[in-house]
Amino acid sequence: MPAATDPVVSVEDVAVRFHRGRRHRSLRDYLIRGEGGVRRDEFWALRDVSFSIGQGETIGVVGRNGQGKSTLLKLIAGVLLPDRGTVDVRAGVAPLIEITGGFVADLTVRENIGLTAGLHGMSRAVIGERFDEIVDFAEIEEFLDTPYKHLSSGMKVRVAFAVVSRLEEPVVLVDEVLAVGDKVFKRKCHARIEEMVAEGRTLFLVSHNDGDLRRFCARGLYLREGRLVGDGPMDEVLAAYADETRESA
Amino acid sequence: MTATAERVEVPVPVSARHPRRPRRGITARPAALWGRRRAVRLLVARDLKVRYASSALGYLWSVLEPLALAGIYWFVFTQVFTRTVGAEPYIVFLLAGLLPWTWFNGAVTEAARALHTEAKLVRSTNVPREVWVVRVVLSKGVEFLLSLPVLFGFALAFGAPLDWHLVLLLPGAVLMAVLVLGVGLLLAPMVVLVRDLERVVRIALRLGFYATPVIFAVSDVPGRLSAVFALNPLAGVIELNRAGFSTEPVQWSLVGISVSAAAVLLAAGWAVFARLERTVLKEI
Repeated sequence: MPAATDPVVSVEDVAVRFHRGRRHRSLRDYLIRGEGGVRRDEFWALRDVSFSIGQGETIGVVGRNGQGKSTLLKLIAGVLLPDRGTVDVRAGVAPLIEITGGFVADLTVRENIGLTAGLHGMSRAVIGERFDEIVDFAEIEEFLDTPYKHLSSGMKVRVAFAVVSRLEEPVVLVDEVLAVGDKVFKRKCHARIEEMVAEGRTLFLVSHNDGDLRRFCARGLYLREGRLVGDGPMDEVLAAYADETRESA
Repeated sequence: MTATAERVEVPVPVSARHPRRPRRGITARPAALWGRRRAVRLLVARDLKVRYASSALGYLWSVLEPLALAGIYWFVFTQVFTRTVGAEPYIVFLLAGLLPWTWFNGAVTEAARALHTEAKLVRSTNVPREVWVVRVVLSKGVEFLLSLPVLFGFALAFGAPLDWHLVLLLPGAVLMAVLVLGVGLLLAPMVVLVRDLERVVRIALRLGFYATPVIFAVSDVPGRLSAVFALNPLAGVIELNRAGFSTEPVQWSLVGISVSAAAVLLAAGWAVFARLERTVLKEI
């Protein structure tokens, strides 16, 4: 399964630590001691995680809530940095994570599309080229000059998905965005993801829906308590996950 | 949606667009920042758009505060008290100090909470995190440049002596940008981790105003204390700002102190920013 070419994403011995409590260490601690030593109120969201992904692989990440799935995606997106180990991403990333986060309430939909696409690295020319596609996909034409804050939450997600899914980055991260939106839009999202996979992009999908995982992903990663406990064909990983869920139920 | 298939044949030389940060090297971070300068430009443009396009008084707002302050100080120190400090014409002397102070004050206040205000964007886009501070420094800097015509207007109206030293406004602005960037990079991550610092910053700025030669000149401070005022890195910046509007010789020693302080602050600020970045990302 590993591609013959160099891996696009390699994660080596990665660990991420979070604080359980509210206030924890003093600023002096951070500056002088850096990130050494675990305190009692800290826990590892991820530890000793290693894998590498080749160009065009489709990865489904499974695990129960709070086992490190989103943390892993954020590391690959580069919006979180590991405390130990290395995350090496050798291609651009289109992160469909917290997709509505980048949108500014007071600016219009049109301005927001330009801004978000630009922040994710799309050039002005490409934005111009893609603009109509984005608007069509989001079915938002009549609201282009409406301030973003006046959109319904469904529309917000539609615009956000439309923009970020148009990024021409070889690595695509999808974090349960498919759970939102109505049926029609969900179908469109699925179609768009299939299209991207067919183009040979590398896909990471975090989902609790077995059907989606089987449909889009060939390889599965299974996280439990921050550790990678399964890495193999999607079906096998899902079976292992189902076994564990049954045991603990 | 149909023209998408041929895209993948070229597995996208994205490394050029998304230069992933190499782990070592002192130039790595500035280089990464430079690589995403378009993001900075977008954000600065957005700030100015919000500022100037959305309100009719847009431009006036950015000069109103320094103008009002200048008016008050002019009244207090020339009409109420007998002024012994500063230079003639005093209103020009005041404005040449107040405009850069307004930039410093506004940029430091906003830079200190830059990572907070844009928490959502910081969490969802992987631009180098310095972008959020640089953007504040530059937005305020552009507002400063746009307020300069007001200064020139007053200088002409009150017959201030103008000479070639006016060109020093430019290095003055660069020096200020470096200084504010250093302070901003230092404060932004610390404020995320220790919220109280935001208040401390506001108070420090209030007091700092009187420790900065805005309503007086460093040479007006009596005795040995003037050496203390000379150590304020803003003194050199303001000296460069005033040079073109006065016949007094430029105090290059002040400028030298400013340049050294700005360089040290930038290095320190960037080091702290890099050091705290990982923790800050988890906290916002």
